[in-house]
Amino acid sequence: MNKKSWKNELRPLPFILPFFIVYVAFTVFPIFKGMQMSFFNWTLIEQQDFIGLAHYQNVLTDPNFWEAFGNTTLFVVLSTPTMVILALFLALLANLNTRFRTLIRGAFFIPSILSVSVISYVAIFMLQPYTGVVNNLIQAFGIDQEPFWLAEPSLAWVSIIGVTLWWTVGFNMILFLTSLQNIPDDLYEAAEVDGATRMMMFWKITLPQLLPITRVILLLQVLASFKVFGQILLITGGGPGTSTRPIILYIYEMGFERYDLGYAAAMSYLLFVVLLLLSLVQLRLGGKGGRMI
Amino acid sequence: MIGQSKKWLLVVSCSLILLTACNRTELTTSDGRIQLNYWVLFGGGDLSYMQDIVTSFNESQDDIYVNIILQDFDDYYTKLVTSVAANRGPDVAVSHAAVLPELVNQGLTEPLNDLSQEVGLDFNDFYENLQDAMEVEGSFHAVPIDSHPFILYINTELAEEAGLLDDDGQPIIEETPEGFLHFFQEATEALPDKTGIAIPTGGLDVYRWWWMTYFQMGGTPIFSDDLTNPEITLDEEIAVEAADYLLQFFGDVIPMHLSDPYENFQSGNAFSLMTGVWGTGIWEAADLPFTAVPFPQLFDVDAAQGGSHTLIMPIHSETTDERQRAKMEFIQYVSDSGLEWAKAGHIPSKPEIVESQEYQDMPYRSDYASISPDVVYTDQTIYQSAAETDMTRSLDEIMAGRLTPEEGIQKMINDLEVTIR
Repeated sequence: MNKKSWKNELRPLPFILPFFIVYVAFTVFPIFKGMQMSFFNWTLIEQQDFIGLAHYQNVLTDPNFWEAFGNTTLFVVLSTPTMVILALFLALLANLNTRFRTLIRGAFFIPSILSVSVISYVAIFMLQPYTGVVNNLIQAFGIDQEPFWLAEPSLAWVSIIGVTLWWTVGFNMILFLTSLQNIPDDLYEAAEVDGATRMMMFWKITLPQLLPITRVILLLQVLASFKVFGQILLITGGGPGTSTRPIILYIYEMGFERYDLGYAAAMSYLLFVVLLLLSLVQLRLGGKGGRMI
Repeated sequence: MIGQSKKWLLVVSCSLILLTACNRTELTTSDGRIQLNYWVLFGGGDLSYMQDIVTSFNESQDDIYVNIILQDFDDYYTKLVTSVAANRGPDVAVSHAAVLPELVNQGLTEPLNDLSQEVGLDFNDFYENLQDAMEVEGSFHAVPIDSHPFILYINTELAEEAGLLDDDGQPIIEETPEGFLHFFQEATEALPDKTGIAIPTGGLDVYRWWWMTYFQMGGTPIFSDDLTNPEITLDEEIAVEAADYLLQFFGDVIPMHLSDPYENFQSGNAFSLMTGVWGTGIWEAADLPFTAVPFPQLFDVDAAQGGSHTLIMPIHSETTDERQRAKMEFIQYVSDSGLEWAKAGHIPSKPEIVESQEYQDMPYRSDYASISPDVVYTDQTIYQSAAETDMTRSLDEIMAGRLTPEEGIQKMINDLEVTIR
């Protein structure tokens, strides 16, 4: 009897083991290796001397780090609310019972299956001065302007946020849409019987029902936005100057262009701490019962 | 049942064999020749000329076979450094002269003094400025295959239209700072629909132009001569002057923020373009009416900006004298193939080849080959590539009009200080 259950316990092991090995090798091990690196002067070739917390001290007094950190925060603050609100709006649109339902769903979701290099290339192509579609459109409307979308820091930010929005909003939309379709119909029927208007239904039924998924989306979105990298690297390269360089790009430059892996690791850990704190705060605010508001 | 498990065994063992086969870089070819892996970073026209050189090397003898492997330019050095660190690096690799001190300092390259003597390669055969650039910490670590200065391309059809060519078909440029500016202003006035100079507002080309102007004005080296602990010796005043001079061209002669200058020039929409000599091969193939001329000496000193492609021998923990010698023989072969390599536009690294009749007969190239000895190579410090990024970024800010030349150069110096900290 005992022996048999022991065997039963072991039965899933061969199935879990491959994943577990890969997980340990590529996720758990690098986490600790990275922490070790942040205490050393570490080039791509070899580990040099132990220097304790010196990297962390240097990071905290590095103006470039703070600029990059500020840039990233700006991106998060600007992109997250638009990303969530627009996704909700699109999900409501895609949930309408019209003939264009499939078209709308497809049209908004398709960009998110494209790779970052594709969307970045398209963006550069469209935004370039003199020959780009965007400027030609502006001029077609009689506005005699030649905006340098990628060469002015503020316009560059607008461009990056716009591109990111176009690229990723579809995913959030799908999450909202799934949740919308899970709202039981009888809630609306009951409200209708009670004589509620559509607006009231939206505020009293739809939004509260969407709250749990909103919280998830918000958390995922903040984490994703803090890790923004690919599209900025490809579209502006952090420029003009360093005005759009996010923290991950700075980490990348330090690690793989200047071969200072210890310093890059230290910055990664600081970013990790920030993300951890943010997640904890959000989870705490979220409570358990899903009744934040 | 038994049949099934045997099948599985077969699949597993086959894939294992396949995996181990992939894992090993073969040292010899199936017919017993020494096999060498050769990494290059060339794109476009350059690559095919290099491929021809490798093919003719492989055909020239029966002992060595060279595999040419193209690596993506953007992260070439990262790949090179990591692969060598993992002892899976190439046998021979291309490196820019400016990156050499960094690679040497990381202990990645084999010193070539003894090996070069064995095969009879003499470093005195190269241009003197190239020799100096190859010598890091007292030994030669690379063999130069070319120098590629920053030059000026002019569309001769448009220049003719603007009346800016002399009877020999050469552009009439007065060799003074004002004369040079005036030349382009005239072109822009005569050809209002065309771009005067196709060059991006920021980036490497502006950096190259600024570099040349700075040294022509008599600027001091950017860094003191120290591999790992240099001081910044940049002459702030001249640096500002040089930036100031360039700034006069932007907005008027050069449209702001051109996104694709190459396309602009190639389609005949630009009067001129500034870039490295590698453009020659490209536009020759594109049948564009153009001429390639060195930048005139506008200030006190005769200086040019340029780089050099060199061949290095990354270290391998286990190697034999025979293999080392084979690598060196191949390197020597490439450095001797300057004529073939010059087809891409590059200037051969040996004066002997440049002076040869065959080279002098090549169109365009002989017009600018004379500046090769004037190229000021970068300082020997491990911070050069990082410094290049700093300098380029500051110049971007100046040319885009976001910082005055004074502010921009100040920022440049501050950034350099942080970099070498």
